[in-house]
Amino acid sequence: MNDDKRSASLSGAGQLSGGDYTRVSISGAGKVTGDLKAEALRISGAGKVEGRTDALSITVSGSGAFGGEVIAEEMRVSGAARIDGAVKVKELKSSGSYRVKESVSSEYVKTSGILRVGGDVEADIFKASGGFEIEGLLSADKVEIRLGGRCYAKEIGGAKIDVRRGGYRERGILLDGLVRMLSGRGTAELRATSIEGDEIHLEDTTADVVRGTRVEIGPGCRIGEVEYSETLDVHSDAEVKKQTKT
Amino acid sequence: MNDDKLISKKDVLERMHISYGQLYRWKRKGLIPESWFIRRSTFTGQETFFPEHKILERIEQIKDMKGDHPLDDLADVITSHVNAKLQVAFDQLQRLKWFDDTVLETCDIDRGRSTPLSIHETLCIAVLSRLRKTARAEELDLVKRTLVDRRDELLDRIADEKLHLYLLRKKLSGGGISAEISLVTVAGPKAVFDPDIEKVETIDLGHILERIKLDLAKTPEGEPPKRTAEGNTEADDER
Repeated sequence: MNDDKRSASLSGAGQLSGGDYTRVSISGAGKVTGDLKAEALRISGAGKVEGRTDALSITVSGSGAFGGEVIAEEMRVSGAARIDGAVKVKELKSSGSYRVKESVSSEYVKTSGILRVGGDVEADIFKASGGFEIEGLLSADKVEIRLGGRCYAKEIGGAKIDVRRGGYRERGILLDGLVRMLSGRGTAELRATSIEGDEIHLEDTTADVVRGTRVEIGPGCRIGEVEYSETLDVHSDAEVKKQTKT
Repeated sequence: MNDDKLISKKDVLERMHISYGQLYRWKRKGLIPESWFIRRSTFTGQETFFPEHKILERIEQIKDMKGDHPLDDLADVITSHVNAKLQVAFDQLQRLKWFDDTVLETCDIDRGRSTPLSIHETLCIAVLSRLRKTARAEELDLVKRTLVDRRDELLDRIADEKLHLYLLRKKLSGGGISAEISLVTVAGPKAVFDPDIEKVETIDLGHILERIKLDLAKTPEGEPPKRTAEGNTEADDER
């Protein structure tokens, strides 16, 4: 069945026409013209896919540019990826810089670098320990943010929302350094217009309105209004202008 | 009209006993269309509202079904366009509560049939089953002929134009003789008829199609996969 499928490797400067491949590897400066369908795409140099990318796995450790929609089971980025279309993946892990013009939907998102999304981010689990900027809605069953830079999402909604100071230390100093570099140092904080969830814990967060069932407003927060239905805890080092029990 | 009334997100959660987490999850899975989320500024800031009638009905459906269907499949079931290639096994149909086998003859369907029914045939059966109590035999036949006549374009138009089927009667009398004629019309939801016409029955065809899809999804074909979103979350958590 796979007789006509090819595998391709570009090293040096090269060009590849789109089509159906098994493995595509770009290690120099390579470009795929048209749509690419592949089992595995690996970019370790500077690679570009001009059209739509549909792959089981995508790995970017150099710089990858995608001109269209990106569909994959798994996408890992440790360098820089820029996507002009929407991203629909099962698992997204980025420790570098990840920029998307449209929306991202993935069951699992883990980012420790910097994430910029022009649309919404939808996931079952969203974990961030770097900085991010999401122009639309960040929605996940579980939103876990370890503030490691400036974080912004217009709206956040989900079941469990947990925002705490400090980044992950699991990968040691090196990653921390990278995070600090990429996210441009400065204050690590979260800003959002509205945050809605069932269980919410916030630290160093500025928001107009927080709505939830059980809400904890931790240190460093400035919240315009909190609406809660069961419990509300406000830390002494937090400011809540108005609170309403519904 | 009732359709235009808005309800706030808070009231939806309260009335339907659901959580923010569920609502956002259903939105992500495409079970609640983006266009139903209406953002309004209120004195407390931004708030989200929904068309009341639609959202409450939809959540009812989701709650009804999520026990025995993975959320991801629900989206296919609930969205308004039907797959014209959808086929329905005859014995599956017989298990549905609205199914009335007395209408089979009108639809020219053999009782012992082993090949699956098309979605179009199923629609015809569903509509006739619903009309059977009020409509006369010749009216049922008229309805069937109306539906069959336009079968190719009908499915798409039902979703796009919110088509309704109207069963109408009109009395004519003059010179001591009176007669009654029956009419069947397929038109938009706000069709206007002359005042002498009696609307015997109005059927929202889109609603019927949705009902069929939902009911079929509920009927177990073997063991439905048990996978709740909650269970998923925990299992996938530590990666």
